[in-house]
Amino acid sequence: MKLTRRALLKNSFLLGATAPLSLASAFAANPASVPLQGHITLYGHDQSTTELGLGLRQLGLQPRYEGAFNPLALSALPTGTLAAGFTDESGIVLLTSLLAGRGRLLALGRHAPDQHQLLSHRGPVIEPLAIETGSWQASLGREYARLALTSDRHRHAQRFQRTATTASGSELSFLVQL
Amino acid sequence: MSTTQRILPKGVAEADFDAALNLFRDTIGSESVLTESEQLAPYTKIMMAGDDADYIPSAALLPNEAEQVQEIVRICNQYKVPIWTISTGKNLGYGSAAPGATGQVILDLHRLNRIINVDPEVCTALIEPGVTYQQLYDYIKEKGYKLWLDPPAPSAIAGPVGNTLDRGVGYTPYGEHFMFQCGMEVVLANGEMIRTGMGGIENSSSWQVFKWGYGPYIDGLFTQSNYGVVTKMGLWLMPEPPAYRPFLIQYQDPEDIAEIVDVLRPLRIAQIIPNAVVIVHTLWDAGTHVVRKDYYNGKESIPREAIERIKADEGIGEWNVYAALYGTPEQIEVNWKIVEQAFSASGKANIMYGEEAEKRGGGFEYRSALMKGDMNLQEFGLYNWRGGGGSMWFAPVSQAKGSETKDQTELAQQILGKYGFDYVAEYIVGWRDMHHVIDLLYNREDPEETQRAHDCFAELIDEFAKRGYGLYRTNTEFMEQVAGTFGEPLRNVHTALKNALDPNGILSPGKSGIRQ
Repeated sequence: MKLTRRALLKNSFLLGATAPLSLASAFAANPASVPLQGHITLYGHDQSTTELGLGLRQLGLQPRYEGAFNPLALSALPTGTLAAGFTDESGIVLLTSLLAGRGRLLALGRHAPDQHQLLSHRGPVIEPLAIETGSWQASLGREYARLALTSDRHRHAQRFQRTATTASGSELSFLVQL
Repeated sequence: MSTTQRILPKGVAEADFDAALNLFRDTIGSESVLTESEQLAPYTKIMMAGDDADYIPSAALLPNEAEQVQEIVRICNQYKVPIWTISTGKNLGYGSAAPGATGQVILDLHRLNRIINVDPEVCTALIEPGVTYQQLYDYIKEKGYKLWLDPPAPSAIAGPVGNTLDRGVGYTPYGEHFMFQCGMEVVLANGEMIRTGMGGIENSSSWQVFKWGYGPYIDGLFTQSNYGVVTKMGLWLMPEPPAYRPFLIQYQDPEDIAEIVDVLRPLRIAQIIPNAVVIVHTLWDAGTHVVRKDYYNGKESIPREAIERIKADEGIGEWNVYAALYGTPEQIEVNWKIVEQAFSASGKANIMYGEEAEKRGGGFEYRSALMKGDMNLQEFGLYNWRGGGGSMWFAPVSQAKGSETKDQTELAQQILGKYGFDYVAEYIVGWRDMHHVIDLLYNREDPEETQRAHDCFAELIDEFAKRGYGLYRTNTEFMEQVAGTFGEPLRNVHTALKNALDPNGILSPGKSGIRQ
């Protein structure tokens, strides 16, 4: 993956993200029109993202799918925008770095084959991710939706054992607000 | 596990800190004083092998003007509140945007982001600390100036001021950044503002063209230090040359590093090759886009057999030399013949440029961009090599002599191997020196591996120092140890300067191991 700004923008266009980027630019030019209540920008490009979006919707948020995570596009989003999704290690480094002084890091998740680790800055995580039915990603989406709306502002770190899985690598999730 | 305890600056009572925060709010506005956990969380992200609990700020301040910085330091003096200054906060792997110690207040200068002047005739710029390379690049393009920047690898999001003040390097002929800095505006710990070089002369037109001014030259005191807060900096920009030829030379034998350096040295000193050349090891060249576990998933250092498979699959060498020629087409042709002749002598080198180089694996495309000052973030891919978010740059300096690079490479590989880490490294060739940059990548989610990385880094510092090799830069976890390797007499001078310029010790305590 080429991470030049030009290439990233090009990728976004190729992924069909022209409209959201244009909308973002329009919102940025008119701060009074944002944030849109209940909207959340969703990044990622696989089944995990789809399931995360499902969970967010179940709690009333309206995800707007942006395709693969583009950290540099965050700065074009209007103040107050909620964003969530999945990315890789370099994406998390860029995300946290770009948020300094510019946004709020509400939660980060590291989802290894044997366990989930969640760091929340909005109090304890209530819904366990080791679930009996449905996917853990949808459960995570519901939890992220709840954290986005809660008034709790305490830091909270938690680990959950993960149910048996054939997954080999880790997935990294995030919930932020600009 | 929940954390509710309020973080305070060391030695500052809660009531005093609240009073200081109120004065900060009066000075820069409430919205520019951050105290909530979720706002401060991005300032706590570290990649080095330290304890997260040791690097949590008590607040972050985001001034817009240099005059606000003056007022902030006056308040800090009044209440003895320590601040840790960052520019764009992209010192990734060296401490990132986190404070030097828990409780320090972050002074985040990213909103001081004005490009005050770019002069296309004398090829200079005057900028504030929050200006990013991308911002300056876009400005120059918009104006249609034929000027190049010299960005480091995280180019788009990092900034020239912060990188230069940490004495970072890039890859064009202007690669040694502090060498191309000219003039500063600095807020001292007492709130006074000074201008260095010719800047003290009212309406001087030569602030950005003549470094030395009159009397002692002091700009260096404000690099890798905590003696002041730089609020403006001048830098020299490279005029776009008429022609440019990036090229790649591959060597396949680990022992070849000595030959490469000995061939390169005279070409660099004579400026036949004028840019900051990099000699990139297999694992760095591949690590920007290949994941370790695809070749080896063991806890030990990646074995030779896997390295050879990567070389074969990716079409890269054990050592990959990225360099460039600049000038008129005629100059480039002349110099190319000299380069070809020098590197062809032993018959070991595979020399290429243009389409042939582009077809090879590795980093020719993004290296070519960096060597002409274009923005690129490809090297962030290294963080995916091992995963887990741990990264520390171990960066000793050596002479540009093959014997020294061979010695350093073997020593580094031996110590990294002892602790189970990979040699992910490159040499950046200066005029006469080499920066041997090793990315110690590890899984920060694994406490045992993190402790191992910490021990490994500490041993690297000590063992390299025993052989006469010092680091040019390091992360906040190891600043004390590295300062110690340069000897007590020098530290005493640093401390004396600190006591004179910052008697309350409010500016970035511990930076480069300097305290009261």
